Amino acid sequence: MLRVFNIVMLAFMLAPLVMVVWMSFTPGMLMVPPLGEFSLRWYAAAFAYPGFVNAFWLSARLALVSGLAATLLSFVAAYGLVRGRRFRGVDAVAGLFLSPLIVPAVVFGIAMLQFVNAAGLYNSFLGLALAHVVIVTPFAVRTLMSALAAVPIEVEWAAMNLGASRAAVLFLIVLPVTARAMLAAFLLTFLISFSEVTVTVFMTGPSYQTLPVRIYNYLTDQVDPTVAAVSAMLIGLSLVLIFILDRLGGLANIKK
Amino acid sequence: MRTDEQGRGGRVALLVLPLVAVLLAFYLLPLGRAIVNSLHAFGPAGIDSTVWTLENYRRAFDPHYGAVFLRTLRISVIITVITCLAAYPVGLWIVRLSARAQALVLLVYMAPWLVNVVVKALGWSLILGGAGIINRVLKGLGVIGPPLQLMFNETGIVIGLVHGHFMFVLLPLWAALSALDPNLRWAAANLGAGPRQIFLRVTLPLTLPALLAGGLINFIMNMGAFATPALLGGSRTRVISYVAYEVNLVALNWPLGGALAVVLFLIVLVPIWLAGRLGRSRGAG
Repeated sequence: MLRVFNIVMLAFMLAPLVMVVWMSFTPGMLMVPPLGEFSLRWYAAAFAYPGFVNAFWLSARLALVSGLAATLLSFVAAYGLVRGRRFRGVDAVAGLFLSPLIVPAVVFGIAMLQFVNAAGLYNSFLGLALAHVVIVTPFAVRTLMSALAAVPIEVEWAAMNLGASRAAVLFLIVLPVTARAMLAAFLLTFLISFSEVTVTVFMTGPSYQTLPVRIYNYLTDQVDPTVAAVSAMLIGLSLVLIFILDRLGGLANIKK
Repeated sequence: MRTDEQGRGGRVALLVLPLVAVLLAFYLLPLGRAIVNSLHAFGPAGIDSTVWTLENYRRAFDPHYGAVFLRTLRISVIITVITCLAAYPVGLWIVRLSARAQALVLLVYMAPWLVNVVVKALGWSLILGGAGIINRVLKGLGVIGPPLQLMFNETGIVIGLVHGHFMFVLLPLWAALSALDPNLRWAAANLGAGPRQIFLRVTLPLTLPALLAGGLINFIMNMGAFATPALLGGSRTRVISYVAYEVNLVALNWPLGGALAVVLFLIVLVPIWLAGRLGRSRGAG
């Protein structure tokens, strides 16, 4: 009984992903999953459609910039939190870093829309990147705090006794030791930024189109199998990154 | 020695400042600004910053927007309850698997979270739509005449978000279940408790905090979801995020849009505050 329920639940979790991939191989014009005959024509159509290709590169740039910025900022900040334990308000600062998690995406999207307009950052890459940094920061901070807490402080003392400055310790000793966690934090933040829809839609309207926004707009007015091919490729990309993340132990912190 | 360490610790603590600055400027300041905007009047020329008013909040609670808030709240609670009920049997099953199988199954549950929401919505529309696979199969079998309406209504939103936000309940629950000391269950069994009693009087109370914590995050995510309800609920089943989009980006009424955001945030903060209080009183007791 328990087993049957769990098999049904696993099927439920995978069903929409399987459907999209299945659909993407249709040779026909309609959104009907193919039986017997398969084709890659919609993949070719996806690569030939500049709307999707440009949106992909925009999303990739945005995820790269905001993922890198969030990872570096979080690395330095997490080190400050872990090693500078004694200062007052440490809990409040940690709470601030994790708090974007409890702000509903729509609320932050509305706030950022009004903010970027007033700040002259409307429809700009910079405005979007800053919003994405805020959104992904909690994940980077969490991943890096637990990795940094596991670094023995004696190693750092030894280096400082030998004359290393704090910056040298941070970047020549702590950084290499936590390289796996850094990579995991980067990949996780990259993937979350790459998939972000709500805040991006609110901040830019339909004009500045990241790939998820492009797909969203596409789905709201027309549907042809091109969108299934693009989506199937996104599923593939996500699965590859998830697999690497899992290997790096980057998903362990989320499990807790 | 001690002062030296404290001094160092103090300077190291300054390393939090860059991130604090970024969050102040591009997170807290925008949120604060939206609050200020919500207290201004809206006229033909846009925001009138000279006028301070609570009019936007009165409108946020008027029958029109009030009904949308209530619908969003109802749908979000239904999703959280279904998710919590379904997550228990899943969690109990997972912790009995081998370590390798556990990792794999957890990955299956985490994967949908890291796949784009619009992609998932497309998948669900291929399954639930009028020409979707469920209706095709049922029609082919002659079970139904006209297609079942499984999306562009609340059903579609509930299915899509139970799927999309399942992980937020399952993962903390799984962690609590695997941390459970098996001796407790053996002891209860030795004292004559049946499986039902063991679950209700040992397992459930000990894992309830994790379930509530996960349920809370799940609820917040449900309240703030945009793309899934928009694509699977459609324009006939409008939730607050959809209405807020129209107010902010179509009507460009930022004062009202800000007020909707503030009210939504307050609705979410109430359970967070309650959970915090509950956690503290447990810790104290």
